[in-house]
Amino acid sequence: MSRNLTYLNVNKIFGEHGKNPVHALKDVSFTINPGELFCMLGPSGCGKTTLLRSTAGLETISSGQILYGDSDMTSIPPFRRNIGMVFQSFALYPHMNIFENVAYGLRVRKMPDAEVRKRVTEVMELVGLTEELKRNPSPTGLSGGQQQRVAIARALVYQPDLLLLDEPLANLDAKLRRYMRAEIRRIQKATNITTIFVTHDQEEAMAIGDRLAVLRKGVVEQIGSSNELYTGPDNAFVANFIGKMNFFNARLSGANQATVDTTNVAVEINPQKNRIPASAGLQAESKVLIGARPEQLEVSSHKQPDSLEGVVQIIQHLGQVVRYEVLLDDKVCDASIEVDMPTMLEDVREHDRIHVIFKKGLPFLFLPEVDN
Amino acid sequence: MKQHDSIREDSSKTLRQFLKKDFTPYMVFAIPLAFMAIFLIYPMITTILRAFMPAGNKLVLGQFSLEGFTKFFESSMYRKALLNSFVVSFAVTAFSLVIGVPMGYFVARVKLPAKNLMLSLGILPIIMPSFVGAFTWVILLGRNGVLRHFLNVMLGPLGIEVPTIYGMFGMILCMTLTYYPFVFQLSYGAFASANALLEEAGMLMGASKWRIFRTVTFPLILPSLGASALLVFVRAIGNFGIPAVIGGDKYVLPTLIYFRVNGFWDLNGAASIAIVNVLITAIVLWLQKYVISRREYETISATHSEIKLHEGKGIRIIAFVYCIIILVMSLLPQLTIIIMSFSTRWVGLFPEGFTLKNYLRIPSYSSKELFNTFYLSLLATFLAALLGSLIAYITERKKPKGAALLDMSVMAPFILPGTVVSVALLSAFSGNSIIKLTGTYAIIVISYMVRRTPYVYRSVAASLSQLNPSLEEASTIAGANWLYTFRRVSVPLILPSIISGSILTLTTLLQELSTTILLYSSKTRTVPIQIYGAVADGKLGEASALSVVLLLVVFGIIYILNKSQGKSISSSFKMG
Repeated sequence: MSRNLTYLNVNKIFGEHGKNPVHALKDVSFTINPGELFCMLGPSGCGKTTLLRSTAGLETISSGQILYGDSDMTSIPPFRRNIGMVFQSFALYPHMNIFENVAYGLRVRKMPDAEVRKRVTEVMELVGLTEELKRNPSPTGLSGGQQQRVAIARALVYQPDLLLLDEPLANLDAKLRRYMRAEIRRIQKATNITTIFVTHDQEEAMAIGDRLAVLRKGVVEQIGSSNELYTGPDNAFVANFIGKMNFFNARLSGANQATVDTTNVAVEINPQKNRIPASAGLQAESKVLIGARPEQLEVSSHKQPDSLEGVVQIIQHLGQVVRYEVLLDDKVCDASIEVDMPTMLEDVREHDRIHVIFKKGLPFLFLPEVDN
Repeated sequence: MKQHDSIREDSSKTLRQFLKKDFTPYMVFAIPLAFMAIFLIYPMITTILRAFMPAGNKLVLGQFSLEGFTKFFESSMYRKALLNSFVVSFAVTAFSLVIGVPMGYFVARVKLPAKNLMLSLGILPIIMPSFVGAFTWVILLGRNGVLRHFLNVMLGPLGIEVPTIYGMFGMILCMTLTYYPFVFQLSYGAFASANALLEEAGMLMGASKWRIFRTVTFPLILPSLGASALLVFVRAIGNFGIPAVIGGDKYVLPTLIYFRVNGFWDLNGAASIAIVNVLITAIVLWLQKYVISRREYETISATHSEIKLHEGKGIRIIAFVYCIIILVMSLLPQLTIIIMSFSTRWVGLFPEGFTLKNYLRIPSYSSKELFNTFYLSLLATFLAALLGSLIAYITERKKPKGAALLDMSVMAPFILPGTVVSVALLSAFSGNSIIKLTGTYAIIVISYMVRRTPYVYRSVAASLSQLNPSLEEASTIAGANWLYTFRRVSVPLILPSIISGSILTLTTLLQELSTTILLYSSKTRTVPIQIYGAVADGKLGEASALSVVLLLVVFGIIYILNKSQGKSISSSFKMG
């Protein structure tokens, strides 16, 4: 029954005819599969909320199409789209008790009382608020987690074709957030409603989403599962946004080889990890970035062949790994890099000189970021 | 041929899409826009046109004349009226600050008994019609005034004679005592809500108390002082009742307007004066906005600490005595009219002849006026509430192009003196104009709506801006169209602000004088007009009894509605 949701060349320009138009979405095109829990992830201002609100019809897009199955939703007003949405602020009605809050969408649809009662009871059971429904207080008397559940119940009760969640966990404390994201996944899988989840928290997105889209400045940078994005980022931005990635300024010195700036350390890149498109037309000596995750580096107290010298800033024992923050020559990397070692090095203290080595075959090669 | 088809298909698709839109909001919004255009903007334009026409009542395009304005140079009456308006308004603003700021500070920062009572009593002078205050001062300080008589007996041997209330001294005294509550209440609010941590931080850094007041506290409350000073100034320069009752031979701009209209039916001349009056207010408003509002600070604070109150015995006594003196002075009129309303005459020290006659005659003499007052006020309040809420909703939620213009036109009457609004409506809807409304109930209801819609508008706009738009969006997403959302979500959530704006509107309309006086006919006479007439005829007993009735009604409304909303009386009048 479920159909897929497709964005076709969606553009959104705020203040299109004004003085300072803001291009919030640029040619966004992708498809969300039926029953999928899909995350839109990106820093604030990347357009993820705009895309979500456009999907709901709360924003009208400047050009392009939003299709549900084969039917074009683009010009259908939001109240005819049959969508459920959970807002960051929950947006529960203080002037109604929780029963009426949840029943709202059914009342709009003029459903008979008995049916309303049955549906609300069912959905409150699903979100685990059976006890609260018996007391039926005003939502202002509930805890944050309970309010969240009411908001989800209210969005699900009329069996929407699509469920939209706009940073739903942002207003909860850290512990509850972790619990609720598991709950949201459970509820989504139980109902199998196609769901879009917007967040700026990559850990949250990786934990909850079947697939993720990473957005930046209105452009979809990459789409894939958490694992695909972590192990195979398409560019430096995605690499740094999903997990930690250290970057080293370098120059191209071969088809799959780069030399770190100010040194003669040449790093061989596994061709599968070379993210420089042929279309970029780079020549030898072009600026590039070598990327390595903390676990793709090693530190040593002694000089090694092809090692970079630096100074240990901070040593943090994180349990499973020991994290070394190392400051390199600022021409190589202007911020300190992170190296995760399985064990503590006995002969290294903070502020000691240290040597950093790339593990063979693991580093990535990226185009340098134009801005940032 | 094929191309043709696709074009037709395209256009029919756009038409279909167009028809799918939700049109109810546009249709609903058209009503307030039309009202503002016909009854505010059009009259204001006619007023401006008339201001540049030769004296008289005729609206003749093409006859340009500066006559109305040159009179300010030629006629000494005009010149003096302008000067008097300036002197009175600035003096009243200055004195209100001088009286109100210390009182606000004392009540907020000194340990005093009965603070809530002081705050509630302190609001009374604004609630009472200002011209009622004026005529009670006539009883107290008139030629044969009680207080004057008494003071003259006391001070006579010293060769000092207390001046009568008539003239500049009286107008300034009376208006100051009427309007200082704005400064008192707003500065109290600012002193009480200022974050004590900021002052404590100053103290820890080694600043003296005076230095802290000068460099921390004062700059923080300056915007509130600016706002309250503006409120006082705007009201003082637009006040008609007080100069009309005790101005004597001293005219101010609003009484001059009345004189032009009532004495000469010279609407064009009145329009010129009205323009000058509004210009002065606009300049002061602009000054306040750009000099003081620019220095408005967002208080950045995560935590708030309680303000430490002064507990020294000396300051407590000074503060208490000060507040009591001011309160007694400003509440003397209330006491006076109550006593007067039960007396046949009051010439010497004590009132003479206890009587109920003043009250007993009300049903036979004032039933029409009472009906008119309630009918006009209730109808106008209801319509203003509807209009104000809708316009607030449009500007806050739909943010249409020109929202700023709409906001400005709704708020404009806020600074327009009542007499000016009347002149504008008369300019547009009397004499040889297309629609003639003079002498009808309609013109009074319209004038009330134009003047009071800002009260509801401000109250509702403030509450809407606090309301998260996602509450309404959630309803839309759930499948509700605009009207359903408006009815079931928006209106219930902003209802408290609609009610409080309406109370303010109703209570001020029940005692409205300055607009009504130029618009009423024998059919539409209201109680305030009757009181004004009785004062002019020297029937102070009758005027007092009617004023007491009016006051009781006003208090009753405020008391009942605040009781049901759990608020204090003063909170209804906090807004400007």
